[in-house]
Amino acid sequence: MSPASVRPVVSVSPPVVARPDGQPVQQKVSIRNVEFFYGTFKALKSITMPLHDRRVTAFIGPSGCGKSTLLRVLNRIYELYPGQRATGEVIMDGQNILSQGLDLNLLRARIGMVFQKPTPFPMSIYDNIAFGIRLYEKLPRHELDERVEHALRRVALWDEVKDKLTQSGLGLSGGQQQRLCIARAVAVRPEVLLLDEPASALDPISTQRIEELIAELKADYCIAIVTHNMQQAARSSDYTAFMYLGELIEFGETERIFTRPTEKHTEDYITGRFG
Amino acid sequence: MASEHIARAYDEELRKLNNTVAEMGGLAESQLGAAIEAVMTRDTELAVRVVEGDEKVDELERDLDNQAIRLLALRQPVARDLREIFSALKIGSDLERIGDYAANVAKRSIALSQTPAVRPVSALPRMAHVAQLLIKDVLDAYVERDADKAYAVWMRDTELDEMYSSLFRELLTYMMEDSRSIGACSHLLFMAKNIERIGDHATNIAENLYYLVNGTPLEQARPKGDISSLEVVTRADTR
Repeated sequence: MSPASVRPVVSVSPPVVARPDGQPVQQKVSIRNVEFFYGTFKALKSITMPLHDRRVTAFIGPSGCGKSTLLRVLNRIYELYPGQRATGEVIMDGQNILSQGLDLNLLRARIGMVFQKPTPFPMSIYDNIAFGIRLYEKLPRHELDERVEHALRRVALWDEVKDKLTQSGLGLSGGQQQRLCIARAVAVRPEVLLLDEPASALDPISTQRIEELIAELKADYCIAIVTHNMQQAARSSDYTAFMYLGELIEFGETERIFTRPTEKHTEDYITGRFG
Repeated sequence: MASEHIARAYDEELRKLNNTVAEMGGLAESQLGAAIEAVMTRDTELAVRVVEGDEKVDELERDLDNQAIRLLALRQPVARDLREIFSALKIGSDLERIGDYAANVAKRSIALSQTPAVRPVSALPRMAHVAQLLIKDVLDAYVERDADKAYAVWMRDTELDEMYSSLFRELLTYMMEDSRSIGACSHLLFMAKNIERIGDHATNIAENLYYLVNGTPLEQARPKGDISSLEVVTRADTR
């Protein structure tokens, strides 16, 4: 398919009014007309979509479609790099998180991020978790211990590391390192978790553990995940956004997107017909 | 089928799956035709060939199942591809049942040919002709992925139901008037029921095709023309 043949068609499902358990779905984050620029190159074109609380939203699309860029907008991590800027609004709990004057450290505590490659700090397993907590809170030792244990239990890593908390986090396996990074994000009690291809560097068993972890964590967080793995998006997410060339082509409930997408581009991509 | 996959072998596998369904359909249709011919011409040799031919339909269904399982396991299909494979499995199952009913008709024709001919037998080929048309049209719709044509087949099954109800009453009348015809008429009644069931399977195929094309099931209630199951049978002299 030539890029010229792709027109910006956004198909968004009607708002979901109730969860399967009967509880109403709350919109945690509202992305409105967001555009993003790498210098003069426009990488995101008027993206509008919701992220629901206690639900997983998957961003899918071919390389360069803007899915990771969109994730990076959500905690303004792009501001670490010169020449990158975002316009539009990202409303979280009534506040535009793209507005100037926002404390970015506090924002990133509210919106945690985990990257493709596990990035444990070169310090002990304990300190990997405690590091983030210490940045935001001054806790007595026993409370800090409890928070570290809780975070490690939350990612099902506690039993594997409880006897070697003082050892370096770099000594863990790839899958364990990634769970350590998720624990580090969880430890500062964020509201939103951003996962950028969190399992793409892991073996199938570690991948399944991460997916199981995502399923458990969504009970407490709003989660957005970027993945190239269609099956992973289908298995792990409640909503799916298909992006192409910086545009949101289709957004809807994952079950519908993977059984009867309304946009041909979406269908072509998920069925492997994307030339 | 929609435009081609990046993995061309996947297209080839889906094409083979479709061809197997089409081959099964053609065979089931010709089995029914041969079974009716065996009834009308009292040709027991032809009837035996139809009964034996059912094994070929069964064999094709096993092949279809294996292809579909392989595709599900290796290709992990989604969206239209998933519906293609799911529908092929279900349609294959319906075609296998159609083959069974055709074989049943043939089997009974062997017994029927040993009894004196009864007049209502002539209604049977009319029913079979309608059933064959339903199968043919729904298979054409399958090949063309034509949901409208499938819907038309789905609506037309009432014609077959009504023919069955009418034949049911006629055969009852014959049996009540002449008890010597009960054996032959019973066979005819079962044959007619088999053909009526073939129509039901044709509508199942139409429903699956509708789902394949549209991604949503055909949810409205299908009109029914067979009311024989609701009838209370009493002899005139006992009223």
